[in-house]
Amino acid sequence: MYEDYNIKKINDYKWEIQKDDRYGMRVPGIIFADRELLDHAVGEKTIDQVVNVSTLPGILKASYAMPDIHYGYGFPIGGVAAFGEDEGVISPGGVGFDISCGVRVMRSDLYLSDIEKRLEDIMGILSFNIPKGLGTKGKISLSREQLKKLLKEGVNWAIKNGYGLEEDKYCIEENGCMEGANPDFISNHAIDRGMNQVGTLGSGNHFLEIQVVDEIYDSEAAKLFGLEKGQITVMIHSGSRGLGHQICSDYIKVMQQSALKYGIKLADRQLACAPLSSPEGRRYYSAMACAVNYAMTNRHCLSHWLRKSFERFFGKSSEKLGLSVIYDVSHNIAKMEEHNIDGRMMKVCVHRKGATRSYPPGHKDICKKYKDIGQPVLIPGDMGRYSFILLGTEKAMSESFGSTCHGAGRLMSRTKAKKKIQGSELKKELFDKKGIIVMAGSMSGLAEEAPQAYKDVTRVVDITHSAGISKKAIRLRPLGVLKG
Amino acid sequence: MKSKIVNKKYRYIEHLSDIGLEFFGNTIEELFKNAGEGMFSIICDLKKVRSLNKRRVRISQQSGSFEDLLISWLEKLLYWHEVDNIVFGRFEVKSIYKNNGDMELSAEVSGEKIDPDRHVIKTAVKAPTYHMLEIKKDEKHCNWRGRIIFDV
Repeated sequence: MYEDYNIKKINDYKWEIQKDDRYGMRVPGIIFADRELLDHAVGEKTIDQVVNVSTLPGILKASYAMPDIHYGYGFPIGGVAAFGEDEGVISPGGVGFDISCGVRVMRSDLYLSDIEKRLEDIMGILSFNIPKGLGTKGKISLSREQLKKLLKEGVNWAIKNGYGLEEDKYCIEENGCMEGANPDFISNHAIDRGMNQVGTLGSGNHFLEIQVVDEIYDSEAAKLFGLEKGQITVMIHSGSRGLGHQICSDYIKVMQQSALKYGIKLADRQLACAPLSSPEGRRYYSAMACAVNYAMTNRHCLSHWLRKSFERFFGKSSEKLGLSVIYDVSHNIAKMEEHNIDGRMMKVCVHRKGATRSYPPGHKDICKKYKDIGQPVLIPGDMGRYSFILLGTEKAMSESFGSTCHGAGRLMSRTKAKKKIQGSELKKELFDKKGIIVMAGSMSGLAEEAPQAYKDVTRVVDITHSAGISKKAIRLRPLGVLKG
Repeated sequence: MKSKIVNKKYRYIEHLSDIGLEFFGNTIEELFKNAGEGMFSIICDLKKVRSLNKRRVRISQQSGSFEDLLISWLEKLLYWHEVDNIVFGRFEVKSIYKNNGDMELSAEVSGEKIDPDRHVIKTAVKAPTYHMLEIKKDEKHCNWRGRIIFDV
């Protein structure tokens, strides 16, 4: 779309797309990447989307892109943008359809030697016990009224009803319940879609993975997490399911009208938005908070099925197995946060679409346990290489509105991946070459998620580490992967 | 004007993160039919879907464009697909009326409950998006074409 940009190198890992009035940019674009990933973003036209976001009213400082940036719709995936409370906007497309899609990591007292010979059996039990894939209903069926309660209370609802533990909730962003959720602002269609999907994994890039601690970069953090090399962890990647998709669809429609009403010129219709202070903007925030609470509760219930599966398999209680939540993050979200703007603390709405909060040590919004080390940042990689636990930094606060990457980022389109890779062959290859057991409902869906379709996550996290917006703590290696 | 008959119903287009679809029709009704079929062909192999469950669809809107109507049509089908666990394989768009700003679509779709043992499930579609969304009438050949990106 745009033929030329003036891209200035700030350092080896940070680039600035200079503000250009020809494109209506209100602020510059900032891309955290090395030269090769930058060239890829330019080649794929992803930076057009970074520029489009920079044209939105009330955007502060810059339109940011994390190193896992890739082409999305409207906002790029891996994009971060903050808007002032008074002049700024809120955009459902800046959060995405899978509101509060996120990651949870659980630790255990198990070691590789406890499971490596029995991995296939454990995966079989998990596959049986974890509702997953298209057309699968969850084990929890709720009435409309029960669901509305859940949307307001978040994981507190789950704990009260016997799913998950009280102590886990302090290791979830927002303590498992985002304030301001109001189910009166969501449609009946959204409610209908949410009634039977609590505690379901879904499909696409969502997964549950048994992993082993492969490398420790920060021994203080490892000690706090209760992890050492060879220990077993479980990573869960899922979101707000159909309820979140419907809320986003409903409000993108509303905001098509709002953009006209408030005279907001859109570079892409998917960027539809409304002023934060408008009735439409406030209603979306409350509806989105419902989906955030749903997603966190969903991951909480999935953890419950995981605990039950491990208890049955090992014949021990989950307390004896040491299963507890290390942390839980949302990487598709918009949140009101306090940030320093030109020397003054201001309330701003930070949109993270495929980006993770990365708060530093001592920040008031992270739990007591992690006050000294910073917020754990959970980065899923692809099913054949690694995943990471990073830590939030002070530099992220000044450089990227307290944000860092969210994953590896796609390198190959889904259609291309399906043409090049056979799901069944991939499954065999992962087992033969790396001993990784993959259980998937759809072989064509599996091909779309092949390691070759993603950037190397190690490279992505190394850039965030070098740029200083998060720092490496733990590397995790996949052993068993469960996909929908 | 003589119209050039379109034989192709739809084709997939490359998109790095998601899946795009180009769809064609000799009439606006046929265009909408092929968009519906194209969307469900992403979800499932349609050859094995039987027409056991029929639904009537009526969508009206007071303002907006064909693009907005298309989004509403596809969202409605996705809603049923998810809530009632149905895949649709047959789409008949009977009429699309446009009167000033008002529009109304009337259609009948049929399909069946998802059976993982019989149906070849491919990719779940989260939602249709407005990104690159376009419906155009080719005045020269008197036929229609559209483009849409789905979040998958």
